[in-house]
Amino acid sequence: MSEKNLDYEAEGASVVKLHDSVRRERILPPSGREPLSFGPLILGAFVLLLGAGFLGAYGNGFKDDIFITSYYRPEPRPAGAGGDTAAAQLTYIDKVMKDGKRVYGNCVPCHQPTGLGNPGQFPPLKGSEWTAGGTHRFAAILLKGINGSLKVSGQTYTLPMPPWGTLSDQDLAAVITYVRHEFAGIEEPGIVTPEMVKAAREEFSGQAVPWTEAELLAIPKDEMLPGAQVDPVTGEPAGEKAEAPAQ
Amino acid sequence: MSLDPQHATADDVRERAAIDRSVRYPVLFFFTSAAAWLFVATLLGFLSAVKLRVPTLWEGCEFITYGRLFPVHMNALLYGWAMQAGLGVMLWLTARLTRSECRNPVTLIAAGNVWNIAVALGVVAVWFGAGRSLPWLDFPGWVAPLLGLSYVLIVVWLFPMFHRARAGEIFVSELFLLGAAVWFPWIYFSANLVIGKGGSATMGAGANAWYMSNLMYFWFAPVALAATYYLIPKIAGRPIHSYVLARIGFWVLAVCAGWTGFQRFAGGPFPAWMPAVGGAAAIFALLAVLVTGWNFRETIKGREKLWEYSPSLRFTMFGALMFVIFAALNAFSSYFGVSKILQFSHFVVGLDTLAVYGFFSMTIFGAIYYIVPRLTGTEWPSGSLIRSHFWLSAYGIATVVVTMLVGGIAQGGAIQQWNLGFGRSVEIGNPWIVGRIVAWLLIAFSNLGFFYQLALMFLGRGRASDGPTLIHKKPGEAASAEAAAGLEPEGAGV
Ligand code: HEC
Repeated sequence: MSEKNLDYEAEGASVVKLHDSVRRERILPPSGREPLSFGPLILGAFVLLLGAGFLGAYGNGFKDDIFITSYYRPEPRPAGAGGDTAAAQLTYIDKVMKDGKRVYGNCVPCHQPTGLGNPGQFPPLKGSEWTAGGTHRFAAILLKGINGSLKVSGQTYTLPMPPWGTLSDQDLAAVITYVRHEFAGIEEPGIVTPEMVKAAREEFSGQAVPWTEAELLAIPKDEMLPGAQVDPVTGEPAGEKAEAPAQ
Repeated sequence: MSLDPQHATADDVRERAAIDRSVRYPVLFFFTSAAAWLFVATLLGFLSAVKLRVPTLWEGCEFITYGRLFPVHMNALLYGWAMQAGLGVMLWLTARLTRSECRNPVTLIAAGNVWNIAVALGVVAVWFGAGRSLPWLDFPGWVAPLLGLSYVLIVVWLFPMFHRARAGEIFVSELFLLGAAVWFPWIYFSANLVIGKGGSATMGAGANAWYMSNLMYFWFAPVALAATYYLIPKIAGRPIHSYVLARIGFWVLAVCAGWTGFQRFAGGPFPAWMPAVGGAAAIFALLAVLVTGWNFRETIKGREKLWEYSPSLRFTMFGALMFVIFAALNAFSSYFGVSKILQFSHFVVGLDTLAVYGFFSMTIFGAIYYIVPRLTGTEWPSGSLIRSHFWLSAYGIATVVVTMLVGGIAQGGAIQQWNLGFGRSVEIGNPWIVGRIVAWLLIAFSNLGFFYQLALMFLGRGRASDGPTLIHKKPGEAASAEAAAGLEPEGAGV
């Protein structure tokens, strides 16, 4: 530290030589004698009331064996949801739907987040007979795309639909499930599995170019992809669980 | 103006200068090493927020995982910066208030070194994974005795000063200082005892929450309030509005604060009355805070304009305002219906930051801006750097508090919904972390100016005095602006 400015280092320094900040400082005035005024009293009473009310409401009479007040009980679940299994069930579907929603990001530029498409250019997925139909056709469309014109809900569309075979089985399964649930309102039969998509991929592997409308119409409207249904609760093959009650 | 202060006599001034000279080296030691820790802590605050938002960044290196960065940041901020700077302020204030010179500056510096070594050891240990994972008490158990010991070695020297103090009215800051001096060893020892030796993990968590709350109410609050109670009348040149209110504030705090803490774990495996008592105490403590805030307001009334000029006043008034907001939020979030939503959300971190940075650190900056020129004999080089220090910090605090509050509500609300997975609540809370990143960035920038100026002062490169360094105008203009407003700038005259 440079001592240059420290005038007051000098013993017996005169006040004039003392440093400015010390010199210009005021004395600390003795504290004021204001008596308690109205404002703080009101504030005080208010706070005391609040605190006492708090203790009364939550203190549970200072009993040592009351642990959780009603404020911490879990929210009641809607009737019919059926306790913990319902939570698990929804959790699994949630997962698939979440995946599907993510993959649907690929489709958004054309079919829009709403699934309503763009009139004249891109067909709607909502209310379309193609999405409401069987999963066999749906998988075919996604794996290979469509060329030429296509009639959807009475309108004819001509732009091509790109193929999505580069997506994984898992992603395709999720997006089909998602579109069917979200836009076609189909709950049953449940979920398209990656195994089903895998089988379809093999089945259509001979198809080198996108489908035409006629080729697609040749696939029966309501035909579902073959393969084991999964249980929406656990994601395990559904058969075992469905049979369980019968045993 | 009828309230114009009596000016100091020549003897007073000489006495003051001698006192300042006696504590100069230890206080500067505390301030500068604290500032160095603040630098580390702000950087880590920024980094840890980034890591929380983007956990995949620099994946695979354990030293920059959030779980290491955040505790290191928080503990460096608390013990390296806040407490250490607070100790410096305590020392200077005590010397001034008791009008006694410090007789053992070297011992104090030695003890301060032990403190720094303890903090450094603790920080390194946490960084290498030896932390205890107890917020604010992350340092491993073996650091605690060292830290506690060095605290005692520093603070014990305040008592001879109090002893030598001349008879007369006890200024309210002295109460707060004495309280803070003895409360810390008590809470630090008790918390470590329960956690290290005693009961169940549940009690450990409770003791931890109790400690956090009390470090705030029993140390940070009294030290900062002592400084504010000293600085406002000094700068405004007016007596404290009401001594009665000041003492009420102190005693309410002293009686209530020790009961707070458990409300942080409301709904946890404690008898329900324990968090209830904690929450009620937090509400009662609000009384101390409001009364103190009221007292400050009445003291400064009519001279608020000084806020535009005096750095110390601006920082301490801002700190006091943040204290009121903190205490109100703390009481509000004790309500079980509220805490059930907020208690495990970002809100908690926001509240802690508000307390440690918005309230305590800002007040301490104010004190440092006041004290250092008196120790070095020079003035702060640049008023505009002080101004940017203030505004960037203020914006940083505002950002972190608002985003963490709103984000906390969103995140906590999602946790409440049984059919949303926990992961979803994390996703919902996640975007708000950007607020934390921005805040620490702002704070880091704001502090650069502070570090720079403090370094200049420390190296004897401060501005030679032609009047105090004011925030807003160049000294000459300010003086005339002040005169026009019928006010005097900080300590004009003599
Ligand atoms: C480049 C724009 C584009 C993208 C991206 C796109 N589609 Fe299409 N899609 C079309 C067009 C155009 C048609 C109509 C084809 C035709 O007219 O030959 C169509 C038709 C369809 C059909 C049949 C008709 C209907 O509306 O039901 C389905 C089902 C379909 N798309 C699903 C999807 C899914 C699922 C995705 C995302 C993985 C997707 N599309 C991505 C443009 C697109």
